[in-house]
Amino acid sequence: MKPAPFDFRAPPDLAGVLDLLAEYGEDSRVLAGGQSLVPLMNLRMVQPAMLISINRCDDLDTIARQDDRLICGARVRQAAAEESELVQQDCPLLAAALPYVGGQANRNRGTVCGSLAHADPLAELPAVALALDAEMHVATRSGRRRIAARDFFVGELDTALQPGEFLEAVAFQRQDADERCAFLELGNRRHGFAVAGLALRLGVQSGRCVMASVAVMGGGATARRISAVEAALEGTLIDEIAVAAAVAALSEAVVPPVDVHADAEYRRHALGVLLERALRSEEER
Amino acid sequence: MADNMRFIGQDVLRREDEYLLRGQGRFVDDLVVPTDTLHLGFVLSPHAHARIAAIDVAQAAALDGVVAVLTGDDIAEFVQPIVAEIEFPGYIRHGRDVVARDIVRFVGEAVAVAVCESAYVAQDAIELVDVDYEILPAAVRLETATDPGMPQVHAEIDNNLIFEGRFTTDGVDAAFAGAPHVLKERFRSGRVGGVPIEPRGCLAIPEHGDSLLFYSSTQVPHLLRTALAQYTGADESKIRVVVPEVGGGFGTKAQIYPEEFVTFALARHFRQPVKWMQDRREELLTDIHARDHLYEVEVAFDDDGVVQGLRAEIWTNGGAYSTLPFGCTLETTGGARMIVGPYRITEYAYVARAVATHTAPAGAYRGVAQPTCFMAIEGMMDRIARALKLDPAEVRLRNMVPTAELPWTNVVGVRYDTGSFVESLQRAMTMIDYSGFRTRQPADRLVDGKYRGIGICSFTEVSGTGAPGWRARGLVRMPGFDSGIVKVEPTGKVTAYVSHAHAGQGHYTTFAQVVADALGADLEDVNIIEGDTAATPYGTNTFASRSAVTGGGALLRAGDKVKQKIRRIAADMLEAAVEDVVVEGGRAYVAGVAQHGLSFKQVAETAYAMNNQSLPEGETFGLEDTDFYDPPLVTMANAVHIAQVAVDAADCRVEIERYVVVHDCGRIINPTIVDGQIQGGIAQGIGEALMEEMVYDDMGQFQNATLLDYLLPTSEDLPNFEIEHIESPSIDNVGGFKGVGEGGLIGAVPAVLNGVADALCDLGVNINRKPLKPSVILKLMREARERQT
Amino acid sequence: MTGKTEVSVTVNGRKRHAMVEPRMLLVDFLRHELGMTGTHIGCEHGVCGACTVLLDGRTARSCLHFAVAVDGAEIETVEGMAGRDQLHPIQEAFHQHHALQCGYCTAGFLMTTVELLKRDPDPDEADIRRALTNNVCRCTGYANIIKAVAAAAAAIRAQS
Repeated sequence: MKPAPFDFRAPPDLAGVLDLLAEYGEDSRVLAGGQSLVPLMNLRMVQPAMLISINRCDDLDTIARQDDRLICGARVRQAAAEESELVQQDCPLLAAALPYVGGQANRNRGTVCGSLAHADPLAELPAVALALDAEMHVATRSGRRRIAARDFFVGELDTALQPGEFLEAVAFQRQDADERCAFLELGNRRHGFAVAGLALRLGVQSGRCVMASVAVMGGGATARRISAVEAALEGTLIDEIAVAAAVAALSEAVVPPVDVHADAEYRRHALGVLLERALRSEEER
Repeated sequence: MADNMRFIGQDVLRREDEYLLRGQGRFVDDLVVPTDTLHLGFVLSPHAHARIAAIDVAQAAALDGVVAVLTGDDIAEFVQPIVAEIEFPGYIRHGRDVVARDIVRFVGEAVAVAVCESAYVAQDAIELVDVDYEILPAAVRLETATDPGMPQVHAEIDNNLIFEGRFTTDGVDAAFAGAPHVLKERFRSGRVGGVPIEPRGCLAIPEHGDSLLFYSSTQVPHLLRTALAQYTGADESKIRVVVPEVGGGFGTKAQIYPEEFVTFALARHFRQPVKWMQDRREELLTDIHARDHLYEVEVAFDDDGVVQGLRAEIWTNGGAYSTLPFGCTLETTGGARMIVGPYRITEYAYVARAVATHTAPAGAYRGVAQPTCFMAIEGMMDRIARALKLDPAEVRLRNMVPTAELPWTNVVGVRYDTGSFVESLQRAMTMIDYSGFRTRQPADRLVDGKYRGIGICSFTEVSGTGAPGWRARGLVRMPGFDSGIVKVEPTGKVTAYVSHAHAGQGHYTTFAQVVADALGADLEDVNIIEGDTAATPYGTNTFASRSAVTGGGALLRAGDKVKQKIRRIAADMLEAAVEDVVVEGGRAYVAGVAQHGLSFKQVAETAYAMNNQSLPEGETFGLEDTDFYDPPLVTMANAVHIAQVAVDAADCRVEIERYVVVHDCGRIINPTIVDGQIQGGIAQGIGEALMEEMVYDDMGQFQNATLLDYLLPTSEDLPNFEIEHIESPSIDNVGGFKGVGEGGLIGAVPAVLNGVADALCDLGVNINRKPLKPSVILKLMREARERQT
Repeated sequence: MTGKTEVSVTVNGRKRHAMVEPRMLLVDFLRHELGMTGTHIGCEHGVCGACTVLLDGRTARSCLHFAVAVDGAEIETVEGMAGRDQLHPIQEAFHQHHALQCGYCTAGFLMTTVELLKRDPDPDEADIRRALTNNVCRCTGYANIIKAVAAAAAAIRAQS
């Protein structure tokens, strides 16, 4: 499979990227790591006339704290995020999920924002972004806006980004030091594409759950926050009864997709298993 | 033959390795091509069954860099329809246009071909070909394709039944009537493919006159050459097929494919080099598929678990066309004939059917029906055990043909000359501490949140099939023999040519070991040449675990002939009696007087008239000889695989915790290479048992034509393997070798399935299908629970 | 619109350049423009790992990069591993442990192993299996590859 012909630019900074996006709009695609985009191009499922590489844009490569958020610029590689002390300290959930994203060779080049913008329904990072109440920082030549993660993942491989818009950074909520969190996934192979996955954060005070944030992959057409599960956990002692109620709520709330790997019944069941495992203290970070 | 074996049996490190490790090995796409090479791209049908109403190639042909776009009608002027030449009662012949002309019969069938200046442009061109299809209803499922009223795949095949074969012994009905117990089961195997990491490709380069040099990633250079001549009208003597490095064959590359004919024919037509490389999607769509099988099996047995009779109704999905050269009956007849395995089953009846459907054509993938027929019979052995509350290993031991009774001919006429059925099972049980495991195993199998079970597959592996064996399977034009030429050069080095082709099995090393021992040469002085029809003698080539048997046999014979000539010439030169001359270590010397001898070089110089010595009276010039070997019917190897598996009670994933093998492939040439073959086969078997499946929807749309969706096992999915060998040299063939290429895969599928069945037996789960994806296991567990309530 | 542009990269320490279309994959650039065919194509969707090279010191799927997009980069391929007379310790270990059969996927495994052992000079079996899980081999069943990597790690540690 060879891709269809395209024109290529590698501007040196964000302004250059935004100019090109304004000019080419829907006829263009942004090339960050390419680990999600290039397979589609090789299969000719996507045929942009203009490919805009951000790989020369050093101004997009920062991981930085800003108030209660940790911001990853568009060119931050998944491997760099994985190795970043800031990520490990501030967003342990993200650090926990990253080793599941593809293989080392994919993470060396693939970017955090690239995975989010691609919005594969079974990818890990959209679920993490939801669980961490991330804010997408979107830029065009004419302005900026922010989109909450909850509003960002619209459908399978579909986000709220409009033609000409560029995801210049993602701002994750910094986790409290005493939060418990876990990322788990299951697939038909030991490592590889997930059939179902779960990102979970718990705030616990004196044994009682004061905050729960639960996002799943494999529970719908996109990664989803499951508020019913959060409600079932908040205020409880996270005992057997609460866990059972949370699993039941999850089972009720999800509409799992069906594909060659698994049916809806298995995904529903697997998500329940993952939730139970995540809630057990042995599974947590 | 090969009296003093210095090299056969040794773990010689591979000579292939260095250049492969350096990245110097040249696979088809690595070959440097002439600058005027044209590249092909095939337009593939997106429909499972359709009439081609119109094809408009104008836009594609007008694209810059496109030389021509040809339809099936155009190609038909160069290539005759290909026909699998099976002669078997009950088989209906049918042909295949190498590029579809009127009707397409599976998603992925070629309907046009673009001839272009680069591979990239070829991909552009095929998108611009406009095909007008009249979509027709498709028959996809094995279970329903032969129902009345289903769309026919071929006009000449009523009800899509390509082949039906029957067999029965006289006493089978009485055996069933008289037996105290009868069990029936239905086993369903999902479709898989070989999926070598190197996709297929070929390169045709016209040479002087009408000659053509044809490179192909193939396992069958001679068969390919003959077929190219046969179907294009080219002179066979002007075709040279060369096999470069091949990145895995596994039987998929033992078929001869439409693209090879098209590439060859277009090179002749355009008088330019023509190259075609497949991509992964095309590989999954169009390389032969296998194992879409259904077995309905019944066993009659006594209170001791000894089988009194076996009945099998076998259905195999042959896909849209019977492939070259094996046809679609190979799996059908294979399953029917091999199912009795190592067991003394003397009353047996089968009906075996091959069905046509609008799916990719089926063919020979490593194991060829043995993984599925052993899935069935080994599954029945376990069911007998559970029914009688006996141990499954014990049931097998009671049914096996004891070694003392070998040679033994089984109920379908297959001879087991030597073997170690009982010994291999006993040894494997010791290796895995079978009795300890059973002692510790709780009735509910549940330990630490995992259901743990142990699964056995004891089996025979058909190998080294000679002409009689192929005839028995209806393949009347399959030669069966292989050939070897052994030559001592004037400088004393040895070149051996053999009618095989490698795809990773280490032939350059193992055949050198055989030749060195046959001849009495030093290993380092022997060079093997294969995979080149201009250099190597004709043969049946490499598939079905045959190269050690047929290639080894031919080389032993040829080598021995040359050794005798060396003795005669040396005797003359040394003025000794021929009987007193020993050939060893690259020298010929008088027995007991090692210093009174000659090097191969010295003997060769006489043979080549390069010294003052004349040849002995009656001796011809040169120092080489040719021989052939056609093994009798088949050569049966045997093995036992035992897998200890753990099924997670919550997420239903299967882990293989331990895996032991005791394998008997007769005389072993290179133990490490044998182990490598077994390990690779097991990996494919575990993949097939747990995660590999090619999925078509009801419309015949292929659902998972990428490696994102067709899952191959990786390093984290597989355990280490503990392998031991027993050597029961064959007494029926030269060298005593038996094949081993397929055994790993054959044993792994049933062992893993039986392990899962054992793990879940207390839940009442019936394991009778594969692959056992976690979602399948969950479903089976839930169904079992419902049955129990 | 998609005319050729010049790409300059350093491959195994040597500066190389060519004029290529933007859509030329890095793997095709290496193989057909530069004639370095040791790196192979298995899938072109980033799954099998046969095309793995080192890009600026880290493994990358060369089937998922465009040559134009890595202009200026440093690339290491299998051809750069061995000396004229001696194999790299990882290659030697693969040879000693029968860790290759057809050899088609081997370059990818070698590159991944180079990265692994740089990062973790003493990996245990689980570490090795984890590191290699994104390289697919259809011939060996991985067991000998795992042993080879462990042996290579020991050999390299012994050297330093």
